[in-house]
Amino acid sequence: MPTLETKNLTHIFPDGTIAIQNISLQVKPGEFLIIAGANGSGKTVLIRHLNGLFTPTKGTVLLDGKAITANIVEARKKIGLVFQDSDSQIVGQTVAEDVAFGPENLKLPPHEIDTITKRVLEITNLTALSTQNPHVLSGGQKRKLAIAGVLAMRPEIILFDEPFTGLDYPGVISILKQIINLHKTGHTIILVTHELEKVLAHADRLAILHKGQLMEIGTPKEVILHSKHYGIRMPLKNNEEIHLMTWLE
Amino acid sequence: MAGITFFHYIHKNTILHKMDCRLKLLCLILLSLSAGFATKWLHYFVIICIITLAIIIARLPIAALLKDMKFFAIIILIVFISNAFTIPGEQIPNFPISNVSIQGITAGLRFAGRLIIILMICTAITGTTSLMALKNAIEWLLRPIPFIPEVRIATIINLTFVLIPLIFDNYVEIISAQKSRCIQLNKNPIRRIRLITLPLLSQSLRRADEIAYAMESRCYSETRSSYIHKTNKIDWIILGTCLMILIFALFL
Ligand SMILES: Nc1ncnc2c1ncn2[C@@H]1O[C@H](COP(=O)(O)OP(=O)(O)O)[C@@H](O)[C@H]1O
Ligand SMILES: [Mg+2]
Repeated sequence: MPTLETKNLTHIFPDGTIAIQNISLQVKPGEFLIIAGANGSGKTVLIRHLNGLFTPTKGTVLLDGKAITANIVEARKKIGLVFQDSDSQIVGQTVAEDVAFGPENLKLPPHEIDTITKRVLEITNLTALSTQNPHVLSGGQKRKLAIAGVLAMRPEIILFDEPFTGLDYPGVISILKQIINLHKTGHTIILVTHELEKVLAHADRLAILHKGQLMEIGTPKEVILHSKHYGIRMPLKNNEEIHLMTWLE
Repeated sequence: MAGITFFHYIHKNTILHKMDCRLKLLCLILLSLSAGFATKWLHYFVIICIITLAIIIARLPIAALLKDMKFFAIIILIVFISNAFTIPGEQIPNFPISNVSIQGITAGLRFAGRLIIILMICTAITGTTSLMALKNAIEWLLRPIPFIPEVRIATIINLTFVLIPLIFDNYVEIISAQKSRCIQLNKNPIRRIRLITLPLLSQSLRRADEIAYAMESRCYSETRSSYIHKTNKIDWIILGTCLMILIFALFL
């Protein structure tokens, strides 16, 4: 059974913009799915639906077969979303306080919050910065903190909205390593990007969004040859080289 | 923003940093009252000594604080001078400037002393108290008052302090971008203000929207784990000291 599923998902904004249209896709447990598309193709809108932040104009989002709206808090605990703009996601005055924000919302007892915060800071290599003001962190560190804040809710599925935007080379490498580790430790990963050359080698499946519609979904090999028609840079001449599409050694 | 040490939390591990924030806020009130009621020079001297001691115990960077004091020094000087010149009274014998009375100088010194004490108290409190601790204490103190949504107020305080540096950075960026396109050649001040405030406002609103989504995504609601306040003996000793200072200023 798919862990996360959308059925005929459509979102029309009040001004009439059709952001996404009739999207049906299924995500298997433990899968690494990349959703690619040009700017304005509806990636952010789609990923926010998967976290229950938007209400569909038409269609549904199902988590483990049940409508995501049936128990939205439970759904958001299970599905973490890392926003594209880390600055908007960070609400704590110090790094550790920000990580504790989610568990505090879940009303966990203080000692448990402490334990989780310490562990998550260790996983994300932020322990040394735990008393720092997030505002002074580098772009890569901020993105890590945004991931840490999501990990503190102990999600099974993690959604990433353009996690590489605005990062320098070491920043991209360290976030990429983090994402791959999370996948290895059993998390289901859904990652939205238009920078396929940085990460595609690690994905199980690739979906292409174009003007709000799901054009292709399948293994990277099946999909990649078509992708240049949809405004995504396709650096390879033949499909043999997908394993080279990563910034990791 | 990052360069100013004044009124900024400085993380250290001292008894004042570990002190229960509710008691710390009570100390703030007691010491401010003492400064208000102080009448003799000895009162001012004792209060300033005690707060200086607190700042030393808290290991706050005194040199950096003094440097940042410059701005306030000007204000204090203005207060002192305006008092000295405006309050009528006896002339000082053999003093070259007329219009300056002994009463005026005394009153001026008193005001300046109070301002300095208040500034020092605020420095000591903000330097040793993280905003989260302050927020939790305010939340606790507001709890017994009916019809006040204490959690919401605490969150608003917190978000304000998150947003201020972001908006400030945003402002600097907009200004630089406009300078690089020669905005200084535009001599109409109203137009210039509009060109800065409109984008700043729309970007800040968009950011607020994003923060609201991000908080919702992390399950924010107004029933959250509440912070467990703990006091220890030292906290009560410090509170007792502040109480004694108030009694001293009132009656001795
Ligand atoms: N709040 C909004 N109101 C109206 N239209 C919007 C809004 N947010 C996004 N859109 C439109 O929806 C479409 C998809 O946007 P988005 O999902 O952000 O694209 P991207 O793939 O770049 O993340 C775009 O055409 C965008 O202009
Ligand atoms: Mg987007």
